[in-house]
Amino acid sequence: MTITTAERTRAVAPVTAAKQRRKGGWIPTLGLLAGAVYTLFPVLWVLIASTKSIDQLFSTFTLLPGSGLFTNLHQLSAYRGGEFWQWMLNSALYAGVGGALSALLSGVTGYALAKYRFAGRAAIFNILLAGVLMPPVVLAVPQYLLFAKAGLADSYWSVLLPSVISPYGIYLARIYAAGAIPDDVLEAGRMDGTSEWRLFRSVALPMMAPGLITVFLFQFVAIWNNFLLPFVMLGDDHKFPVTVGLYTLLLQGANAPALYTLVITGALLSVLPLIALFLSLQRFWRLDLLSGAVKS
Amino acid sequence: MAARRVRSAPYLFIAPAVTAFTLLLAVPIGYALYLSLREMRITGLGLGPGARAERWAGLANYSAALRDHELLAGAGRVLVYGGLLVPVMLGLALVFGLLLDADRTRLRAFSRIAIFLPYAVPGVVATLLWGFLYLPTTSPGYYVLHQLGMSGPQLLQGNGMYVALANIAIWGGTGFNMIVIYTSLRSIPAELYEAARLDGASEFQIALRIKIPMVLPSLVLTFFFSLIATLQVFAEPMNLKPLTNGISSTWSPLMKVYRDAFTRGDIYSASATSVVIAFVTLAVSFGFLKLAGRRAYGEDNS
Amino acid sequence: MFSDAPRGLRLALGLTSAAVAAMLVAGCGSSGSASSAASSSGPVHLTYWAWAPGLDQVVSLWNKSHPNIQVTVEKQAQGDDLLTKVITASKAGSAPDLVQAEYQALPTLVSNNVLADISAQDGSAASTFASGIWKQVTLGTNAVYAIPQDSGPLMFYYRTDLFKKYGLTVPTTWDQFKADAEKLRAEDSSKYLTTFSANDAGLFAGLAQQAGAQWWTTSGSSWKVSLDDAATQKVASFWGGLVKEGAIDNQPMYTPAWSKALDDGTQIAWVSAVWAPGVLSSSAPSGKGKWAMAPLPQWTAGQNVTGSWGGSSTAVSADSKNKAAAAQFALWLNTDPQAVAALVKDSYVYPAATDAQTGGALATAPDYLSNQPDFYTQAAKIAATTAPAAWGPNVNTAYSAFKDAFGKAAQNRTDFLTALNTVQQTTLADMKTQGFTVSG
Repeated sequence: MTITTAERTRAVAPVTAAKQRRKGGWIPTLGLLAGAVYTLFPVLWVLIASTKSIDQLFSTFTLLPGSGLFTNLHQLSAYRGGEFWQWMLNSALYAGVGGALSALLSGVTGYALAKYRFAGRAAIFNILLAGVLMPPVVLAVPQYLLFAKAGLADSYWSVLLPSVISPYGIYLARIYAAGAIPDDVLEAGRMDGTSEWRLFRSVALPMMAPGLITVFLFQFVAIWNNFLLPFVMLGDDHKFPVTVGLYTLLLQGANAPALYTLVITGALLSVLPLIALFLSLQRFWRLDLLSGAVKS
Repeated sequence: MAARRVRSAPYLFIAPAVTAFTLLLAVPIGYALYLSLREMRITGLGLGPGARAERWAGLANYSAALRDHELLAGAGRVLVYGGLLVPVMLGLALVFGLLLDADRTRLRAFSRIAIFLPYAVPGVVATLLWGFLYLPTTSPGYYVLHQLGMSGPQLLQGNGMYVALANIAIWGGTGFNMIVIYTSLRSIPAELYEAARLDGASEFQIALRIKIPMVLPSLVLTFFFSLIATLQVFAEPMNLKPLTNGISSTWSPLMKVYRDAFTRGDIYSASATSVVIAFVTLAVSFGFLKLAGRRAYGEDNS
Repeated sequence: MFSDAPRGLRLALGLTSAAVAAMLVAGCGSSGSASSAASSSGPVHLTYWAWAPGLDQVVSLWNKSHPNIQVTVEKQAQGDDLLTKVITASKAGSAPDLVQAEYQALPTLVSNNVLADISAQDGSAASTFASGIWKQVTLGTNAVYAIPQDSGPLMFYYRTDLFKKYGLTVPTTWDQFKADAEKLRAEDSSKYLTTFSANDAGLFAGLAQQAGAQWWTTSGSSWKVSLDDAATQKVASFWGGLVKEGAIDNQPMYTPAWSKALDDGTQIAWVSAVWAPGVLSSSAPSGKGKWAMAPLPQWTAGQNVTGSWGGSSTAVSADSKNKAAAAQFALWLNTDPQAVAALVKDSYVYPAATDAQTGGALATAPDYLSNQPDFYTQAAKIAATTAPAAWGPNVNTAYSAFKDAFGKAAQNRTDFLTALNTVQQTTLADMKTQGFTVSG
């Protein structure tokens, strides 16, 4: 949203100067279009490849659309009685619920770290942040063993819970709370006898909403694209997210080769929800809260 | 009464996160540390029950990790990869950010979304599709070159591999960094430019003298995150590996961790290696922040 | 930095966060209800981790006729990492009741105490299988750790039309194979007879097996590791020579480029196993009716021996609370005529049970090779000549070392014997580090 408002004010202010420079805008435009071609080309490739049937995939020219899209979609939907759509649903559940929980948890933590002075504040913040340094590859097995001891391995919780804590999200929420919530508003609330919890819920949370939506989106994408954690945690393929599910289509053993047409079509379908989410929520991407971050 | 409430409130607010962090990250990290000091000892043929026993290994796993020249070689490969990836990705992100910010640019919304789009594509899928585009017989690029009577460079072997791998990361990451830089460009007050224009500065000079210095903090930040991501590079080489002879199972340090933990089933030495990697990451990021903090904020920070 | 944040937006975002909260509640409810499943009374429920396609159809036959023992297939991705996943699950006491396990993985699984000994229930099944295969599931002991499911005797596949076109003879010895490869390169430099794939240790193992290699053997209570024995050295230097002189390609199999090469006839032959027609039909759909199968080339003319690539078994885990029921199912799945017929049809496996190899399910040749009506009769004859395999407890380490060392050697077209030595040293060192008693 910042982007659009800022654009508007700037477009209006220096009218005369802008007019002079309007012409010749093709250099930056072409530069950006070249970038767009680079980024969109592989996407175009998936689009085209997903229309090819199995006997067209390797025999016709790469960029020539085929006639197999509906067969591919049909076969993918029919695979193991609609398992693919179950995977998509699971991914939506993990990413949606995990992202939302993570945003709320980050919000309340970031708010406390930004707006209160208390003993151990810096230490707690630094410890929470240090979590990003441990590579997820090695945490997966200890996490699995501990979840199994709690009887939670191979459950929806085993994928949801570890996604909830996000050092990165807490970091962003703290920066955002520091900038977006004026201290005097909180002080005024305290004068009126509002409880701390109410202050957070009714005053701070709405103010932090744009930042929290960014955290939500970050976590949503991170969880949707996560592979290793669900791969290690889950045995029941009915609970797989789409990334792990597609992996089982790729590796079926030497005597059953990768189902390339299904994987490519599945890959395309698995990216569509994320693109839709981006397009509908792109106004809320508050990445500028990142750039303000280093100073504090 | 009210004061006491204010005092206890922050602890209540952070309690859920601290609990979750402890249970979901700190305990597993602690467990990994514990495992890194253990080892599995097998006796005899190792086939009957009781032939396998876990025991203390002291620092043996660490000394083995530090003496492993494959780990060092992997670190070297990651350095070359990062040396290629980070400057190109951030350079492109900066250029695109500046172009988006230029007054005359058209099709801004389209370009912004198009360049950002790959961020949404999962690593597994990104590598699969770039793999198709890299393999000479399935790539349209090589087809065109072949029709013109030329042959393209081999991307999946030798030094071409660095380009192939860096390209996947550049493709996926440029858009994200571009948005970070662009958003901070938008927050520069327009009056700054007007003053410069009155002095007769060109758009290029404005970009060089005003815009880039103003977005330096964003550049520092994007550099920092790119650095951590580079040190932990794993998904791209792992997924590209089946397509080529050119990527070994220990190509990057984290791939070695994965091989030890998931192929050899030796979680103990994998844990020790990860602890080493985590310490190096910590040292590098801390050192970088110190350096960057002095350079970028030397004047305006207390 | 945030001074330009539009305050008017707050309401809309408040609503969004309310929606997020609502979603959260809804989501929690649905995940909570989905994770509770098992019941204490009533039929026994067994879980089965497997990667073979189409197993659900076979299992549903069992579930219909055995209402008291219900089996659920949980489909996994095949790969080295699956082995670790099973071992880790077993360490945590939560391994599934049944697992699909490749023969070479059995010693590793046994060594990690993952598998139950089912000799009491299924020991009598020995006579149903060839002794070489049965030995792989007993590890030469009195225990039975799994029921053999499928086997993959090696064979030679080639494009009949292109062999005719270039005047090549179907090789019966490896010398002829080499001559064919060289002749093809001379005739048409855009084509290769085949490729050497460093990504497929299983194929190399099968070829070494044909030559008589015994990689892991035991004597008393110590292992002997000889991945670089004379037989394996012979195989390695043969393929290394072909790669070095450029007579065959050096790129890995099972890549999109490889599928294309098989499809458009850039590679005109493939050393593969009995299950190859299934792979060819999806990798090289346009070659249908043009490929044919012949016995694997021999080291000495007139010899008759082959190795095997792939092949797996059904094992019962030590964690299972219903071992007897699981053992009963494993035996049914791999020996019952109706089950084996369904396995052949729906999972494309070549059954390990000897009778099934000439049974009704395999009466007609695979559709892809319908030009070779006696395909399965021939296959059964070839399968009977399979040399015994000898697996050890760290096959994964050896395979991963193979991929690295041979990948490098194939890429640079350098000496394969050096690579083989690296594999041997790595594997041996790994066993010693782990504490296994190793002799020699």
